[in-house]
Amino acid sequence: MIDPKNLIDLERRTVNPRVFSDPEVHQAEQERIFTRCWLYVGHESQVPNPGDFVAGFMGEEPVIVCRGPDRQIRVFLNTCRHRGMLVCRVEEGNAKFFRCPYHGWTYDLEGKLTGVPDYRKAYHGDLKREEWPLLQAPKVSSYHGLTFACLDEHAVSLEEYLGDFRWYLDLQFNRTESGMMTLPGTHKWTLKANWKFAAEQFGGDNYHTMWAHESGVRTSIAEQFGGDHPWTNDWEAKTREGHGWINFAFADPPGIAEVVGPYTAWLRRQARNRLTPTQIEQIGCVHVGTVFPNFSILSFLGFLSVRVWNPRGPTQLDAWSWGMVERDAPAEIVKLARDIQIRTFSPAGIFEQDDGEMWSYCTEASGGAYRRRFPLNYQMGAGHERADADRPGLIHPPPTEIGVFGFWERWRRQMANEEAR
Amino acid sequence: MDRVGLRQQLEELLYREAWLLDQDRLEEWLDLLSENIHYWAPVRADMNRGKEDFSPPLRLAFFDDNKDGLRLRVARIRTGAAHADEPPSRVRHLITNVQVLETPGAETAKVASNFLVFKSRRNREENLFVGCREDTWQLHGGAWKLDERMILLDHNVIENITVLF
Repeated sequence: MIDPKNLIDLERRTVNPRVFSDPEVHQAEQERIFTRCWLYVGHESQVPNPGDFVAGFMGEEPVIVCRGPDRQIRVFLNTCRHRGMLVCRVEEGNAKFFRCPYHGWTYDLEGKLTGVPDYRKAYHGDLKREEWPLLQAPKVSSYHGLTFACLDEHAVSLEEYLGDFRWYLDLQFNRTESGMMTLPGTHKWTLKANWKFAAEQFGGDNYHTMWAHESGVRTSIAEQFGGDHPWTNDWEAKTREGHGWINFAFADPPGIAEVVGPYTAWLRRQARNRLTPTQIEQIGCVHVGTVFPNFSILSFLGFLSVRVWNPRGPTQLDAWSWGMVERDAPAEIVKLARDIQIRTFSPAGIFEQDDGEMWSYCTEASGGAYRRRFPLNYQMGAGHERADADRPGLIHPPPTEIGVFGFWERWRRQMANEEAR
Repeated sequence: MDRVGLRQQLEELLYREAWLLDQDRLEEWLDLLSENIHYWAPVRADMNRGKEDFSPPLRLAFFDDNKDGLRLRVARIRTGAAHADEPPSRVRHLITNVQVLETPGAETAKVASNFLVFKSRRNREENLFVGCREDTWQLHGGAWKLDERMILLDHNVIENITVLF
């Protein structure tokens, strides 16, 4: 039995490397994290009309996010109640029903089992169809169009789950009246890495930027990063829910201000009555954040993408990333948002590649029996985080790892079943 | 030039190009590209038959670069700090099924080719990238330059892409 208290040392701020490769830890996470936490499943704009659906994953479980005839968004487990086969094998579209290709069991858009071939002859009329609907996430909720689902019917509300982190989501996703939309297409890639290396890094590792990404920084954005003093005015936040946020305060960078400047100005004007002055100041900066456990946000000079890190066993992860932009953004801005995402943080992006290398070989190199006797160090910034009047959570200037360890504090509580449900 | 002669000439050009990429002679590879090159690779998706549409201008792509973007990729590798390719990969481009699709004018040729790119790195890291390319080559002062390349990778979920196609 996995006891997370033996893996995470809150006093010393260390993490046992077992958490990144042990199959037992992985199995326990499926129960204690992925069937209990709120998980991101897509954006409302991906399913605008009744019958629209996208297929994805909650952790390792395949799901379908579908807008019903009543316009409600439901999240079905993509597995037939008869033998477990996928009922949907394409990743997006518009459906009138979901029909299992194996024996033809058919479900309507509310998940009800409406069709069973040879119903009378095969089941002698005894099958109670109403008892065999598609499995459905008991909780589905959206925040600024970001749709999350939770497999635990006793879970706290999404608002409570996001908690103080809503302030940070607001400044990204509530900048304008029109709200945001997802760009078409999904970046999907896979790494031989544990999913938590990715999630913890987005939740508060600003320390790696100038090292892991040195090649990209030097050739593309060195000036904007401020040469030898990259950390001036930057800060990081962690919230008590275990969500983390990094702010790189280089708005209005000299090299590309001409291109992004008008967009940033437009966003700030729109945000005037929606956000606080502190939030508005951050529009156009670079932000990275993680909502526990596996939903991450990346805002590069205000251009947004969101992603999920889904495990595929203890040492494999699938990353899916989507571009997002304001619904009423000018056409050239929409194009720029897409191009920036492709060139920077995508499977061939000049920054993303570096992270894949780190997470893969961290996973490989730290899994040995001897290595596991020695913990990993998460002490940076410990005890120096401070409350702040304008920003919720605890704040620390970088480099720091308060947000990264915040992820592990939450992981420990979650794995010990200590989180409120 | 007759059709067979043209195909032979373009085939040789594609082999030469692949040779430069495999030899890490990336600066010479850049010289084969026109200043207006559009180099892109749309993302794929599992859709109902006939429904996959990768052409819309706003759909995400793995690559969508102009010449400056490709120069930046090469410059980045030359920093010696592009960690996903240090130590460098052993890369082999196998180019096949070369077909001249159209010759809209004497100085333009649209060419399709298939590729199989093998990448090996460190002890056990191995990747295979498979797909096809649709190119537009143009004669500039007697030399063929690549003006447009659409790379259709046959992968949906892909591994870290550190190679050029």
